[in-house]
Amino acid sequence: MMSFDQTRFTGTPAVAEPLVRALLELDAVTKQFGGLKAVEAVTFKVYPGQIVSIIGPNGAGKTTVFNLITGLYRPSSGDIRLAGQSLIGLSPDKVVLRGLARTFQNIRLFNNMTVLENVLVGLHTQLKAGIVGSLFRPPAIVREEANARKRAIELLSFFGTALVERQEEYVMNLSYADRRRVEIARALAANPRLLLLDEPTAGMNEAETLEAVKYIRRLRDELGLTILLIEHKLTVTMGISDHIVVLDHGRKIAEGLPEQVRHNEEVIAAYLGKPTGAQGRTAD
Amino acid sequence: MLNVPESIDGGLLAPDRSLRALLVKWLVALLIPVVVFTFLWSGEALENNVLLAIFSPQNSILSDVPSVVQAGIFCAVFYATVIALVGYLVAADNGRRGRYGTIELWADMIAYTVAPILLISWTNDLVIGLALSVIVISIYLFVRKRVRDVLHYSPPAPLTDIQVFDEEQRGFLIRKARIGSLWFAAIFAIISLIADIIFLLLGSLSTILLIWAAIRTLVLPIAGYFLGWLGGIVAARQTLREGTNGTTKNGTSLSGKVSKRQQLEGLSTTRAREEARNLVPNDQPLQNRGTLRFCIVIIAAFVLFYPALDPVFFAFGTNGRLVGYDDLGYYVILALGLNIVVGFAGLLDLGYVAFFVLGTYTWALVGSDQFTVITGIVTNPQIWPWLFWPMLIIGAIIAALWGVLLGAPTLRLRGDYLAIVTLGFGEIIPLFFQNLDKYTKGTSGISGIYHPLTPCASSLPSIPWLRFLSWLPCIDWSSYNPVPYYYLILAIIVLCIFANLRLRDSRLGRAWIAIREDEIAASSSGINLVKAKLFAFAAGAFFAGIAGAYHAAKLGTVASSDFNTTDSFVYLAMVVIGGLGSIPGVLLGAVIVYSLNQLILAQLDSIATNPGSFLYGFKQLFPSFNFTDIRNLLFGLLLIAIMLFRPEGLIPSARRRRELHQHAEEAAEVGALDEPPGAPGFEEEIRVE
Amino acid sequence: MVYGIIELINFAHGDIFMMGTLVTLTIMNWFGIVAENPPQSLTWDLVAKLIITAIGSFLVCAILGVIIERVAYRPLRNAPRLAPLISAIGVSLVLQDTGKLWKGNTDIPFPSLPFGTFQVGAVSISSITVFMLLIALILMVGLHLLVTRTRLGRAMRAVAQDREAAALMGVNVNRIISITFFIGAGLAGAAGFIYSLQFPNTNFSIGYDLGLVAFTCAVLGGIGNIVGAMVGGLIIGIVRSLVSEIPGTVLPHGGDAWVSAVVYGVLILILVFRPSGLLGQQTPEKV
Repeated sequence: MMSFDQTRFTGTPAVAEPLVRALLELDAVTKQFGGLKAVEAVTFKVYPGQIVSIIGPNGAGKTTVFNLITGLYRPSSGDIRLAGQSLIGLSPDKVVLRGLARTFQNIRLFNNMTVLENVLVGLHTQLKAGIVGSLFRPPAIVREEANARKRAIELLSFFGTALVERQEEYVMNLSYADRRRVEIARALAANPRLLLLDEPTAGMNEAETLEAVKYIRRLRDELGLTILLIEHKLTVTMGISDHIVVLDHGRKIAEGLPEQVRHNEEVIAAYLGKPTGAQGRTAD
Repeated sequence: MLNVPESIDGGLLAPDRSLRALLVKWLVALLIPVVVFTFLWSGEALENNVLLAIFSPQNSILSDVPSVVQAGIFCAVFYATVIALVGYLVAADNGRRGRYGTIELWADMIAYTVAPILLISWTNDLVIGLALSVIVISIYLFVRKRVRDVLHYSPPAPLTDIQVFDEEQRGFLIRKARIGSLWFAAIFAIISLIADIIFLLLGSLSTILLIWAAIRTLVLPIAGYFLGWLGGIVAARQTLREGTNGTTKNGTSLSGKVSKRQQLEGLSTTRAREEARNLVPNDQPLQNRGTLRFCIVIIAAFVLFYPALDPVFFAFGTNGRLVGYDDLGYYVILALGLNIVVGFAGLLDLGYVAFFVLGTYTWALVGSDQFTVITGIVTNPQIWPWLFWPMLIIGAIIAALWGVLLGAPTLRLRGDYLAIVTLGFGEIIPLFFQNLDKYTKGTSGISGIYHPLTPCASSLPSIPWLRFLSWLPCIDWSSYNPVPYYYLILAIIVLCIFANLRLRDSRLGRAWIAIREDEIAASSSGINLVKAKLFAFAAGAFFAGIAGAYHAAKLGTVASSDFNTTDSFVYLAMVVIGGLGSIPGVLLGAVIVYSLNQLILAQLDSIATNPGSFLYGFKQLFPSFNFTDIRNLLFGLLLIAIMLFRPEGLIPSARRRRELHQHAEEAAEVGALDEPPGAPGFEEEIRVE
Repeated sequence: MVYGIIELINFAHGDIFMMGTLVTLTIMNWFGIVAENPPQSLTWDLVAKLIITAIGSFLVCAILGVIIERVAYRPLRNAPRLAPLISAIGVSLVLQDTGKLWKGNTDIPFPSLPFGTFQVGAVSISSITVFMLLIALILMVGLHLLVTRTRLGRAMRAVAQDREAAALMGVNVNRIISITFFIGAGLAGAAGFIYSLQFPNTNFSIGYDLGLVAFTCAVLGGIGNIVGAMVGGLIIGIVRSLVSEIPGTVLPHGGDAWVSAVVYGVLILILVFRPSGLLGQQTPEKV
C-alpha cells in the first residue's frame, strides 16, 4: 500500500542514470490502422520517479501511444516493457495488474455510481472476493470490504476533504475538476507504479490548472509514482516535466529536458509557431 | 415546528392542534384500507373463522390445526403491524404538507391499497387482481397528473434541511407514536364493535363472537398504546443523531469519520433528497424505509401463511390457484436469473430458455426411467427420487457451466450481435433435445419423473440410517397437491432474492455495473471483462437450472414441445416491464407477465362463454375470435407501451431511474467535453485486437 | 439497411414480410385469382394483375413500415439500446397476431400460377425461379446504386455513420430514416410477393422464422454491407440446401430437422472469428 511519505522523491533527475533501470520502455513501437500509420517507430524511456510529458500537435498520435501502452490497442510492431517485462498482448486489465493505471482524455467515470463506488471499482484488483465470497460473505470478505471502503476514503482524502464529504454523491453531479480528481483517485486505487494521465488539465481554467499541477507533483512526491502525461498546455509541460517527448504525425521528433525541447527548431516548426497549446482539445 | 409541549401526559387524550392534524391525516389514511380489508373483503371473515375454529369447529372453513394457527398468527401480525405503522407514520411526519398533502395522501391510499383489495376480491384471484391493479394505478397516476396541471398545483419539493435530534426530541417522537396508535386502535375497535352490533341485531352473530367483540374493544386500545411505542422506536432509530463530529485535518489522515450530517450537507440536491427520504422527520413518511419494513412484515406473513389463508380469502378452488402460483414461482426465479445477466451486467440474452430446458431435462433424464434407458443402470425407485435434492444443485451447476460455454463466443461481440447469438443458442439447444429423441424422447415426452421425497415414516424404510427422522409427517408430493411445492418454490425464491442482493452489493456486482456503464473504463480499472461476463452468464444460468429441475419434478412429465424459443422473449419482457436490475420490479414484472400469459386471457375466454356477461355479445359478433389468440398482440402492445412511456420499468432501481431521466432533473454540471450517456455514440464497443 | 442506419435489430422486419404475403394474397383474391380456381394460362392480363399486386404489396408494406417507425421506434431513438429492441419485439408480436386474426391460424394456400419450366441440360428450372432471381438481382443492384450513387443514398449513409453530424450538415434525419424504413419495408413487401409466387402457402409465423434467417444472412455478410448481405444469403441458402439433404441415417431425423441449428451454428462460428461479419467494416472506437 502506498504511504503519504513526504520524503521519498524530491527534485528532478537531470540525467537518466544508466544504473537505474527504466520503468517503462517503448521500443520502436508502430501502430498501423489500415493504411494510416498512427504511430511510427516511437522509442523512449521513462525512469522511476520521473514526470514525463508527451506533447505534440493535434493528431500526433499521443493518445494512441497511451492506448498502446495500456493494452487497448496492440502494436503492429515494436515492444513495450514495464520494468523489463513486455506488455504486448496483455489485455487492459492485465496491464493494470502489472502496475499501470490511467485516466482518459474524456473522463470516463461510471456516471451512475457514487464517488465512493467509482473508487471501489478501482480497487477491484486489490480485492479478492469471488462469486463464493460474495454470496456467503465470510468474515474475511466482510473485513475486506470494510478495509476497501476505508482505503477508498483514504484515496479520496489525497485531494482534501471535499470529495470525502461528497462520497455518496453521484459523479455526474460533480464539477468537471472534481470528476478529474475522482478519476485519478480511481486510478490510484489500483496501486500502480506508473500513472498515465491523458490531458489532466484539459478544460480547466487558470486556477484549476495550477491546482492540478500541484497535485500531479504531489502524486510523484508523496506517493512515489512515476507519471507519464499527455499535455497540451505548454506552460504546464515546461513547468512540471523532468523529461519531454515530442511527437508529430506519429513519429518522435524530439525529446529531452524542457529547455532543450523548447528551443528545438523542429518542435517549433511542428507547432507552427503557436506559443502555447491554447487551441483546445481534439482527439488524437 | 417540533415544540415539546409542556404537559405530555395531558397530551395523550387531548393532543395539540398540529398533532391533531397529523392524527386525522394518518388515522383516516390507514383506516380506509383496513376497514375495506376487514369488512369489504375477508379480514373479518378471517378473524371469525379463527375463533370459530377454536370454539365451534364445525362452523369454520379452517379445518385443521396448522391452518388455524397460521391464520391466527397472520391476523394478529397484520393488525399489530398496521397499528404500529400508524404510530410510526404519525411520529415520522413533520407536518409540513398542508391540507392538499392530506387530501392527496388519502387519494393515493385509495388508489394504492383500496383499489387492489377490491379488484382482488372482485376477480377472486390474487394474481389477476394485482395485475389489474397495476393498470388502475397507472390510470390513477395519469389522472392525478392531469388534475395537478389543472389546479396548477405541484407538490412541494421534499425538504432537505437536516435536523439533528437529541434524546428529548426522540422521546417526544415516541410519545407521538403512542398517541397515534392508541387512537387508531381505539377507533378501529369501536368501528368493529359497531359492525358486530349490527350483525347481532340482524341475528347472525354467535355468542362466541360477541364475547370476542367485547374483549377486542378493550384489548385493542391497550395493545395500540404499546404497539405505538414500537412504531415510535422505529421512527426514532431513523433520526439523525449528533454523530462523531469528524475533525478534519487538511490533507492527511482523514479516516472517514466525517459525520453523516456533514456528508448530507455536502451533497447535491437530488442526492440529498434520496438520502433524506429515509430520515425522520419527513415530508412523505410513506416512502420511507421504515414504512417499507412494516409492509414487508405484512407481505411476508401473507406469503408465508397463504395456503392456509386462501380458503378464507377466495372461497373454494384453493388447489387450482396454488398450482398457478407454483408456476408463477418458477417464472419469478427465471426473472431473477435473467435480471443478473441483463439487468446487472447489461448483456442482452435472448436465448435464456436454453438454460431452463437444460435444467428441466437434467432432472427429467436422471430422475425417471429414462435414466435406465440411457445408461442401462437399474435404479431403485424407492431410493432414487431422493436424488432430487442434490440434483437441484447439480442441475443448476450444469446449467451454469453451459452458461459459460454459451457465453464464451459472445464476449467480443457488440450488444446487438450478442443478442442474436444468444437467440441462436435459444434455438439450437431446444432443437437438440427435440431431435435426439433416442435419449430424450423428444416430443413424445418423458413421463413418470420422480417427485421429491422428504423424510417420513413411509419414505424411509429403505434408508436405515435416517430412520430416526421417521416421526416427521409425510408430505404428499404428487402433482395433485400443490402445497408442498408452494413452500418449496417460496424457499427457493427467498434464497434467490438473497443471492441476488448479495451479488449486487459485492465486488462482482460493482464490476458488472461498471461493465454496463463503460466497458473500456472498466477494463482499464483492472476488471477482467471475460471473467465478469462469464460469471454473469453462469449465475443467470444457475437460476434457470434450478427453476428447470423444480419444474420437471413438479409436473412429472416433460416434452420438448413444452418449450418454445419465444419463451425467451417472455422472460425478457418480465425483466424489462418490471424494471431492469431492480429486484422488486422483477417480481412485479413476473406477476404481470405471468398473469397476462396464463390467466387473464383464459379467464376472459371463459367469461365470454357466459351469456350473462357483456363479453358474450362481443363473442357473437366474432365467433372465431378467441381471447387467447390475441395474447401475443396484447403482449406486444404492452411491451411497446412500456418502452414508450416508462422504459425504466414499473419499479425501477434507483440507478435506472436516474439513467433514463437525467435530462428531466436539474442540469448536472457535466463538463462540455464529456459525452452524455444517452448520446448515440456512447455505448459503442471497442474491438480489441 | 435499416440496421445500418438506426442500429436497431428490426425484429419486425420478418413480420412485415409476412404481412406482405398476406397483402399479396388479398390483392390477388380481389383480382379473382384464387387458390381454389387457379388460372390456367399465362396471359398478359394475368401478368398485368401480378405487376399491380407486386406494386400494391410494396406500397402497403412500405407505409406500414413508416408507421411502425413513427410510433414504436422514433420516440426511443435516444433511449439505451435495449428499449427499441424490446419495442421491436413488441411490434413483431403485434404483427404476428394481427396476421393470425386476419387470416387465421393455419396455412393459407397461394394460388398456383401457370409458369412454365426451362430445360437446362439435365436440370429443369421453373421460370418462376428465373423470374425471382432476376427480380432479386435488379433490386439488389438498384439498392446498391441508390445507396452509393444518389444524393439520397449519401444522406442515408451519413445518417448511419454519425447522426448528429449529418443533422448539422442539413440532412433531415427524421425524413431520411422514414424513407429508409419506407424502402426497407417496401422491399419486404416485394419479397412477400415473390415468395407467394414460388411457395405453396403462407402462415402468420413465417415472418419470425424467415426474418431470423434473413437477419442471420445480413449479419453473416457484415451489417451495413449490402454486398455482404447478398453473399451471406448465398452462403446460408447453400448451407440449408445441403444440410436438408443429409439422410436420417447420419443424423437423427435427417438433416431437415437440424437446418436451423446448423445455420445458427455457422453464424456463431463466423461471429466468433470475425465479429463484424465476413465483409463487415471493423471500425475501432476512438478512445
